[in-house]
Amino acid sequence: MRGISAFQVTCVFKDEWRYWLRSKLAITVLAIGSLLTFASVAMTAIYMHDLAHQRHAMQHASEQAFVEQPDRHPHRMVHYGHYAFKTPPPLSLLDPGVDAYTGNAIFLEGHRQNSATFAEQRQSTGLTKLGSLAPAFIGQVLAPLMLILIGYSMMSRERESQTLAFLVAQGTSIFTLILGKGLALGSVAGLILLPLASAALFAMSQGESLVIAFSFVGAYGLYLGFWVLLGLLVSTLASTSRASFTLLVVAWIILCVAMPRVASTTASAVAPSVGKLETDFMVINELRKLGDGHNANDPAFKKLKQSLLEKYKVDKVEALPINFRGVVASQSEGQLTQVLNRFAHQQMTQELQQVRIARQFGWASPKVALHALSMVLSGTSLETHHRFLTETEALRFNFVQSLNQAHVEQLSYQDDINRNKGDEAWQKARVDASNWQMIQGFEFTIDNVKTRLVRGQTGLVQLTLWVLVLLVLIRWAGRRAL
Amino acid sequence: MANKIQNSYVIEVDSLCVEINQTSVLKSLSFSVARGEIYALLGGNGAGKSTTLKTILGFHVPSSGKLKIDGQDVYSELDTVRQKTAYLPENATLYPHLSAIENIEYFLSLAEIAKSNEEIEGALTRVALQSAAWRRPLDSYSKGMRQKTAIALALLRSAPIFLLDEPTSGLDPVAIDEFNQLVSELAGSGASILMVTHDVYGACQVANRIGLLRNGELVGEFEAEQPEKIDTQAVHAAFAQVQTRVTAK
Repeated sequence: MRGISAFQVTCVFKDEWRYWLRSKLAITVLAIGSLLTFASVAMTAIYMHDLAHQRHAMQHASEQAFVEQPDRHPHRMVHYGHYAFKTPPPLSLLDPGVDAYTGNAIFLEGHRQNSATFAEQRQSTGLTKLGSLAPAFIGQVLAPLMLILIGYSMMSRERESQTLAFLVAQGTSIFTLILGKGLALGSVAGLILLPLASAALFAMSQGESLVIAFSFVGAYGLYLGFWVLLGLLVSTLASTSRASFTLLVVAWIILCVAMPRVASTTASAVAPSVGKLETDFMVINELRKLGDGHNANDPAFKKLKQSLLEKYKVDKVEALPINFRGVVASQSEGQLTQVLNRFAHQQMTQELQQVRIARQFGWASPKVALHALSMVLSGTSLETHHRFLTETEALRFNFVQSLNQAHVEQLSYQDDINRNKGDEAWQKARVDASNWQMIQGFEFTIDNVKTRLVRGQTGLVQLTLWVLVLLVLIRWAGRRAL
Repeated sequence: MANKIQNSYVIEVDSLCVEINQTSVLKSLSFSVARGEIYALLGGNGAGKSTTLKTILGFHVPSSGKLKIDGQDVYSELDTVRQKTAYLPENATLYPHLSAIENIEYFLSLAEIAKSNEEIEGALTRVALQSAAWRRPLDSYSKGMRQKTAIALALLRSAPIFLLDEPTSGLDPVAIDEFNQLVSELAGSGASILMVTHDVYGACQVANRIGLLRNGELVGEFEAEQPEKIDTQAVHAAFAQVQTRVTAK
């Protein structure tokens, strides 16, 4: 085998580009692809940038509305509630991930763990519910198709026109051709990647780390590199360009369309999760056993009442130095939260189990590998969403219990039970508004670099392995190309 | 029929055996081509003509036998051998999206050979390709015009050995005459030409020597000092006999 010369590789590279520039199909695909990617990145960047500002403003407004409430009965504030917003991470402008489906805001109130709301896909109308044209979707699904349309005949047309034998016979090595053409299609992949890389730079200006931005673009580079290599491999082995095109499209359908569905369906079948309705019924059944926290005379709190009377050596709740109704509310909230957390934990465990099973399909499809890696790196994965749910639940529990504590300590039992006996009694059954201040300062921060890199390492290994396997196969195919 | 290997021979094939997919395609094939000689390897479909050319080019590895080009072993000196040979495949379309000049420039650049525009135009003139077509994409060319372009490229590569695979197949009579004239000129200037064909009359018109190939074996050889002096009737009769045997077999 003759050695590979950089000059020859450059000649092949330039000729491939000359062919594409003269081919209407290639240039049309390239133009549409570039336009689509740039437009998608620009639109998503603007949208996510606005959304980040909007969420900051809404978080601030929500906190202001809460702390600016006048003196009130503390339990009214428990039900007044409060919103916690998840500010989109900088790279979500490229991959909104699960956030588009799970929602980014939670209404926090007493006795309930609400689901996140304001999911883009749930709010949108019509066909956009089926999925928006996010840059991640273009990079993961459409970009491979563009590479196939442009590069399916790279080597096969040389064979069809007998120029392959002609070139080899005059001393040009097959690997020179493969390398030159691979670099040419790689440069197309680079053009597709350019808007993503620009957006990643923009994300860095919004606070994203260099390592993550580089890893994110690198992961897409590896993935598109896989498709470049697959195009080279298939067109080197296929006897005709038509066969090459058919095989590549079939591969695209299997790897990009079918396999992700197979992954999620298998995950649901292997690790089935209980539906929301069923869970809600189970939660209600469990909560019924706890007693009504609004009713201090509920038999469920008889034991509590007895222990307090013994503790403070008094014979009736009115004689307690603390507000028994507040204690009941506090204990009830604690027990209720334990039940809710148990179900939430079960739900999260099931979801994570499904996600982990689905991610194993990254060994069978590089699209599945990149899909998971992209979300993990951009901070829009299920793990990050679960942390948001956990942190907001902690926030909810703390603020409710702080209010319950004020209820216990700052409002007398007598004033509390007489609160509905006229205006004066109503006014007396209040605590100072300074108690509302504990709500301020919630800010959900993205997972740190190390966490995201560790979570993404399987996806990275999967993608790297795909590329390495193809490199070995191309080496083998090159030897039997004639 | 084995030829005695002589040093003056440029192509030396001695007892060459080639197996493809465990099928014996060439069976102890021996022949040689001298400098300035046009040797036509004549045979029907599946006789092993193209395999012979591809083995000489190093595309197939023989199971046994010797193969030398200009005194050098093909497999140990493959790069050098390939630089000395100009291969013209059957239906060489070159690159249809490029003009004749662009095709030649590209192939020369891959061979790392620098030629001026004048030299390229000179080669195209020598092969009698109309100048009006030089800058037109090859997808508008006839097969004869593409053959001429490929030969112009071979001339510019200054290859002393030409390997032609069914070169006149699909050409009209005028183009065949032009092609034969060109091949004769090349041989006259010292190039050695090995062509494989199933065209008995075409081979007799242009070749100095004709080898008759059947099932990978050389079963006859006809020779004349001057082309067109080979006994066409005898060759045709022998070819027909070979074909009949093949069919009967």
